[in-house]
Amino acid sequence: MTTEVLWWMFAIAIVAVSAGVVFSRTVIHSAIFLILSLAGVGAMYLFLTVSFIALVQFLIYGGAVTVLILLALMLTRMGVAGKPEPTTGVQAPFGALVALGLMFTLIGVAVSTAWPGDLGGSLPGVTIETIGNEMFNNYGAPFIITAALLLVAFIGAIVIARQEDGD
Amino acid sequence: MTFGEPFFGLSWLDAIIRILIIVLVMTIVVVYLTYGERKVVARFQMRLGPTRTGPLGLLQGFADAIKLLIKEDIRPRNADRWVFEFAPFLTFIPVFLVLVALPFARDWGVRNLALGMFFVFAVLGLNIVGVLMAGLGSGNKYALLGGVRAAAQMISYEIPLVVALLAVAMVAGTLDLNAIVSMQDARPFILIQPLAFVIFFTAMLSELHRAPFDIPVAESEIVGGYFVEYSGIRWSMFQLAEYASMWAFSIFGAAIFLGGWQFPFGDDWGWGWQLALTLIKSLIMILLIFWVRATLPRLRMDQLMSFCWKALIEVSFALLLVNGLFLFYGWPEPILAAVNWVGTIAFLGGIYLRAARKPSTKDLVGSYKHVEVSNS
Repeated sequence: MTTEVLWWMFAIAIVAVSAGVVFSRTVIHSAIFLILSLAGVGAMYLFLTVSFIALVQFLIYGGAVTVLILLALMLTRMGVAGKPEPTTGVQAPFGALVALGLMFTLIGVAVSTAWPGDLGGSLPGVTIETIGNEMFNNYGAPFIITAALLLVAFIGAIVIARQEDGD
Repeated sequence: MTFGEPFFGLSWLDAIIRILIIVLVMTIVVVYLTYGERKVVARFQMRLGPTRTGPLGLLQGFADAIKLLIKEDIRPRNADRWVFEFAPFLTFIPVFLVLVALPFARDWGVRNLALGMFFVFAVLGLNIVGVLMAGLGSGNKYALLGGVRAAAQMISYEIPLVVALLAVAMVAGTLDLNAIVSMQDARPFILIQPLAFVIFFTAMLSELHRAPFDIPVAESEIVGGYFVEYSGIRWSMFQLAEYASMWAFSIFGAAIFLGGWQFPFGDDWGWGWQLALTLIKSLIMILLIFWVRATLPRLRMDQLMSFCWKALIEVSFALLLVNGLFLFYGWPEPILAAVNWVGTIAFLGGIYLRAARKPSTKDLVGSYKHVEVSNS
């Protein structure tokens, strides 16, 4: 009961800050709202008792991705902080189209799939040991291939960003 | 007082009472850490430090706190108002959350989390957000520079920190902090993972912005960094967060590497002794931090980054590989410890030899290097 009330409170708060991301007039405020929204989703995972995914959400999205966004903003913004900037351009309708399409696709998929935790079903207990076993024993090859792909992308990014003498 | 028996039988009330106790203790500890730092650094510099307020200057911290509370709270005109005002609180929240997971004595902490170690470094990563908000929101170039430096430094040093801790977690076989501590009844993990401790301590200094990594808050370069525009109570929030995270990191390090409440006496001794052991070990780590601060000069930004990316990360991944080999083949622990000690001595010796070598000044012509100018 308490969990359900908290869940709804967080749901409303997350929708509110997500609206803040879209409608805020400055990019920096949008980025900060985005951090709050992602942290709220992490808290939601805690209510849903998947603490590992919640902590990964905090570590990756809260601590790393948004920091990179803020860092990029810090390095590129000019002028007074907090001044309104133009936020819509000619691409706005296409962006809205893509976002709406994604939203309806996700809702459709989520509703039409039979999840193990649906009414009448039972949830498998997922601990960090289960995740580790699945990742390193049953899905070892995909894990290694993903790692190699990331490494290639990493080296590629360094090569592109690198400036040789005389370039 | 154990994890299993909540006060008054209500788990939420129990959590609130425990958090209140820890926050009160933390406030007192922070006040005396500022005093202790001034005293210790003063003795290192052949001075006396604060002596006037109270006996031996013991009330100095409280006097400073009162002074900070009644100072005017200034907000610059071109600051981004909400970002500026919320930044100090956002730097404090992660530290506060870390205190929730730390084990202070056997079965005593706020909550014993099954993923305790992972929780600590997941939450500590959020620390950067408040620092960046302060840098962005102040509307000041020095604050912005401090914020950029802090962000670059913290996301770089987070990697060796986490990898070194993972190496210890591999040896322990769990992420539960209380279980890790109770495993160290015969030997603390610093004896079998000294290299991990060296990496952890270095990365910790960097995450805390302590000397020699205090580049984001360098007074002589960028007049104090990201909190240059803050005054009064908001500035004191930054100080509180800094010293509280130093304390939290020390207890965390004491629990993982120095044996926490468990090591010399075991769990036969009462919870008072265990609590005292934890606090004494954390104070030893804090004293080490002050000692380093009083001894070493500040690094340059490029030295800081190249040390992290060219030395610490490689060494920490090598440590992870060696630990993996030993654990996979089940080779005995003394050999693992010996290999680690050899690695530690090689690493520290390499750093020492590199520093002791007389630097060549051959190509230095007033600038970093001599550049050939072509006439074409």
